[in-house]
Amino acid sequence: MAITYAYEALPVAEWFRRNREIAGFQNPARAMYQTVRELVENSFDATEPYGILPNITVSIRPVDEAKGWYSIYVEDNGVGIPGQEIPNVFGRVFYSSKYKIKQHRGVFGLGLKMVVLYAQSTTNRPLLVRSAAVRSDKIYEYRIMIDTTKNEPIIVDMKEYNNKYKWHGTAVKVVIEGNWLNSKKRIEEYLRRTAIISPYSEIYFKGPDMEMVLKRRTIKMPTPPKEGLPHPKSVDVDTVKQMILESKTATLAEFLAKNFDGVGEGLARSFLEWAALDPNRSVGSLTQDEIVLLVEKMKAYEGWRRPRADWLSPAGQELLEVGAKSILGAEAVFAVTRKPSSYSGYPFIVEAAIAWGGQIAPVDKPILLRYANKIPLLYDEGADVARKVVDEFHWDSYKVKFPAPVAVIIHVCSTKIPYASAGKEAIAEIQEIEEEMKLALRDAARKLRIYLSRKEKEMEMLNRYTSLAKYVDEIARDMSIVTGLDREALANSLYKLIENKLGLTAEELAKHVLSMSSSIKEEAEAAP
Amino acid sequence: MGERARFLKQLEEWGAELAKSALSLREPVMEIPARTLGNTVWDERARMLKLGPEKIRRRFLDVKESRRFMQTVLMLSLIVEAMRADVFPTIRDLYYNGKHTIVFKDPLGRVHRENTWDEQAESNGVIEDIEVATNILREEMGVSADVKGKVVGPIVVRSQGYELDASKFGETALSLPVNVDALEIIKVEASYVLVIEKDAIFQRLVREKFWSQENAVLITAKGMPDRATRRFVKRLNEEYKLPVYVLTDGDPYGIYIYSVYKSGSIKLSYESERLATPNAKFLGVAPLDIERYKIPDQFVIKATDRDVKRAQELLKYPWFQNDVWRKELEYFLKSKKKVEIEALSAHGLKYLHDYIKDKIKNNKFID
Ligand SMILES: Nc1ncnc2c1ncn2[C@@H]1O[C@H](COP(=O)(O)OP(=O)(O)O)[C@@H](O)[C@H]1O
Ligand SMILES: [Mg+2]
Repeated sequence: MAITYAYEALPVAEWFRRNREIAGFQNPARAMYQTVRELVENSFDATEPYGILPNITVSIRPVDEAKGWYSIYVEDNGVGIPGQEIPNVFGRVFYSSKYKIKQHRGVFGLGLKMVVLYAQSTTNRPLLVRSAAVRSDKIYEYRIMIDTTKNEPIIVDMKEYNNKYKWHGTAVKVVIEGNWLNSKKRIEEYLRRTAIISPYSEIYFKGPDMEMVLKRRTIKMPTPPKEGLPHPKSVDVDTVKQMILESKTATLAEFLAKNFDGVGEGLARSFLEWAALDPNRSVGSLTQDEIVLLVEKMKAYEGWRRPRADWLSPAGQELLEVGAKSILGAEAVFAVTRKPSSYSGYPFIVEAAIAWGGQIAPVDKPILLRYANKIPLLYDEGADVARKVVDEFHWDSYKVKFPAPVAVIIHVCSTKIPYASAGKEAIAEIQEIEEEMKLALRDAARKLRIYLSRKEKEMEMLNRYTSLAKYVDEIARDMSIVTGLDREALANSLYKLIENKLGLTAEELAKHVLSMSSSIKEEAEAAP
Repeated sequence: MGERARFLKQLEEWGAELAKSALSLREPVMEIPARTLGNTVWDERARMLKLGPEKIRRRFLDVKESRRFMQTVLMLSLIVEAMRADVFPTIRDLYYNGKHTIVFKDPLGRVHRENTWDEQAESNGVIEDIEVATNILREEMGVSADVKGKVVGPIVVRSQGYELDASKFGETALSLPVNVDALEIIKVEASYVLVIEKDAIFQRLVREKFWSQENAVLITAKGMPDRATRRFVKRLNEEYKLPVYVLTDGDPYGIYIYSVYKSGSIKLSYESERLATPNAKFLGVAPLDIERYKIPDQFVIKATDRDVKRAQELLKYPWFQNDVWRKELEYFLKSKKKVEIEALSAHGLKYLHDYIKDKIKNNKFID
C-alpha cells in the first residue's frame, strides 16, 4: 500500500528536514548555538547528577572560512558512555538513557542525533567521539554517521586506547556549517548564564577570536534528583499502553499500585470504585476504548496524592546567590526556592533571585534571566510567563524605582516543563506556575526591600557626615587666619565634633557602608 | 587705638570665640540677629523699619546651616585680612577673593566638589550677617559696594579737599563716593530734592535743564538704591531740611523702591536709622495716575503675576496702611495696569516737567 510505504520510508533525513526548525537548526547561526547547547547540556547531565563537579571545555575553530565551516569541540569529565553503546547513542534517533521520570536537561534522546544529522547535511563529515566510562580500562574512539534511511549508525572508523590514567568523560567533535559572527553573542551569553545557575562548574570556552574562563565559585552541588514513577494524572494513552505491554497479566489494581507515584492498593481500589472499573480485571484484556477511558478517569480523579518532588533538583538559594553575585557582579543577591507544587500531575519548583547593583547597569525594566531545568532560555522572552510576572510585579512596593540596577532570575524545574511553543524557549502561562513565580518574586523582593532600607539609612548617615565634613578644612583654615590658632588642631576638633554628633567615626562609617552588602544581607535573610 | 583697629580687634575676638569653642569640643554657634520679615519691626514713632530682637543660631553641626557657617567664617577671614593690610575692598572684591572650589573625598572615596559661593548674593549675605552679629557696619570695616548714585543741581561739596559744584557738570553728573559721610556739603541752595528711579529719565531731565528751572537737586541710584545714595538723600533731608520727592515707574516695584528710600528694607533694617528718609514723598507715577492723567492705552502694560504678588505684599506693610495707598494699590490689583514714566510723554515731550510741577505745587504727592 502506498501509504504504508510512504510511512516506512519517511527516512530520518526527511524527518530531520521537517523538524529542523523545531529543534533549533533553522539557520547556520542558530544551528551553531544549538550544537553547543546540546553538547554542553549532555555534559552537565553526565556530571552533575553523579556528584561530579563539571569541568567543561568548549572550543570552536574555523575549518573552512569561505564555506563557513567550523569545528565544535566539547569535552567533559562525566561518567562517559560504555563503548558498545556509543554508536546507538550517537546514531539512533530517540535513543536515550533519560526516559525515566526525573529532572534532566535533555529528555528526548534527540539532541546528539540532530547534531550528527545537521553536520551530515551541511559538511557531510562524521562526528568524532572519544569516551571512557568510570573505571573503564579502555578509551573508545568512533567516527560515526547516520544511515538516514534505516535510522542506524554507520561506524566510519573505530579505535581503542589504553586508559592508563583512568580518565573518564566524553569528548565530541563535529564539523558543521555555522556563522560565528551571528552566534557569538548568544553562545557567550548561554555559557555565562549556565555558569550563573551552576557555579560549581568550571567552563573554559575558546572561540575563533576570543577566550572566556568561567571559574568554579563553589564546590557545593545541588542534591541529585531521584528517579521515580509518573504521577497518575501525568500520563497519556500511549504511555499507558506501553506500560500495559510490560505487565499484561496484572490486575488493574495491581497495575496502578506498581506503576504510579503515590498509589498503593488501597488508593487504587478507591479510584477504581470511583471510576466504576473492575479492580480485578487483567490489564491485558482492556480494549482500546477502555484504556482511553481509564486515562481520562485518572486525569479527572481528585483523590491522588500530590506528586512528589524528589525527582526535581533545584539550584537552591545559596548556589543562585553565589552564581548571580560572581557572574553578574551584583552588589547583593536575594534568592528564594519555593516549596514543590504541581500542575496536571507534574511536580515543579520555582526559584527566583533578585540581583541588585554592582556591575548591573540601571534599566527601565528588570533584566530577566530565565531557566528551565537549569537550561538558560535565551529566545522568545516576550512569550514567557516569567516576563509577564516580572513586568506586572509591583516593584514600587519594594523600594525599587526604575531606572534601577536590577536583574531577576527565574528558574522552573519540573519533570515536564510546559513550553509555550515547539521552540522550547519560553514557559507557557500555566496558572499554578505563574502563581508560584509571583510568590517567589515576592519573597525575594521582601529581602531586597529590607536591604534597601538599611542601605538608605547608612547612606543617609554617610551623606550627613559628608555635608558637614566637607567644610572642615576651609573653616579650620579661616579660623586659623583670624585667630592665629593651629589649623590642624582646629580641623581635628571639628572632625571630632562631627563624629561625636553622629556617634561614630569616619572609619567606622566607611566600613559600615562598604560591608553593607554582606552584613545587611544576612539580617535580611534572617528576617521572616 | 584708632577706630579701625578697634573694629578689627572686635572681629578677631568674635572669631576667637568660635575657634575656642571648637577646640574645647563645644559646637561653635554664631548668634546672628535674624534679618527676616518676621524679625523686622515697624517703629511707628521713627516711621521706619527696625531690626527686632530675634536671633538665629547658626550652628556648625546643622546640616542645613553648615554651608552658611563656612561662608561666614570665610568672609570673616577675608575682611580681617583686608583690615590688617589696610586695604579697602569692595563687596565684589571679597566675592572674588573668597570664591574657590572645595574638594572633599568622602570615606567611600567619592569626590565632592563645591564652590565656597556661587553668586555674589551669597557673599553679600554673609557680610550683612557679620555686620549684624558684631554690630560693626560694613563701612566701618572699610568694605564698600559699587556706588550707583549720581547728583546734579545747586549743591557744592568737598571731597578729599576738592570743591565740586554739582551745577557745573553739564550733561554729566557728580558721582557719589563710597562713604558719603566723608563728603562735606559746603552749600545747598535748592528748593527740593527729586529722587529718580531711572537713569534715563534722570539724564533727560539734566539735558533739559529741568533742575535749573526748578532749582532742584536731582539724584538717581539707577534702580534699587545702594546704601551711599540713601544715606546722602537722608542727609539732604535731615541736615538741610530739603523736601524729598521720589519719581518711579508706575508699578509695584517702583513703589517698593520708594518704600526703601522712605522706611528702609527688610534685609538692611539694622541700618534704617542711618539710611531711611521717613519724610520722603511719593510723587508718582501712582497707579491711579493712569486715569488722572489720561495715559493712552498703548502706553499701558499688563501687570505680571510677580507685580500682583508684590502689590499684595505692599498692602500688608504698616506704612502703607492708609486710605490713599490702599486705594492706589487696590486699583492696581483690580485693573492690573502699569506704566513706565516714559508714558507721560504721550502728551508731548515736555509733559513730564508739567507733571512733576503739578504734583509738587498742588500737593498731589503721597506721603
Ligand atoms: N557527554 C556525555 N556523557 C555521557 N553520556 C552522554 C553524553 N552525551 C550523550 N550521552 C548519552 O547519550 C544519550 C543521548 O543523548 P541525546 O541524543 O543528547 O539525548 P538526551 O540528552 O535527550 O538523552 C544520553 O541520554 C546519554 O545517555
Ligand atoms: Mg541531550
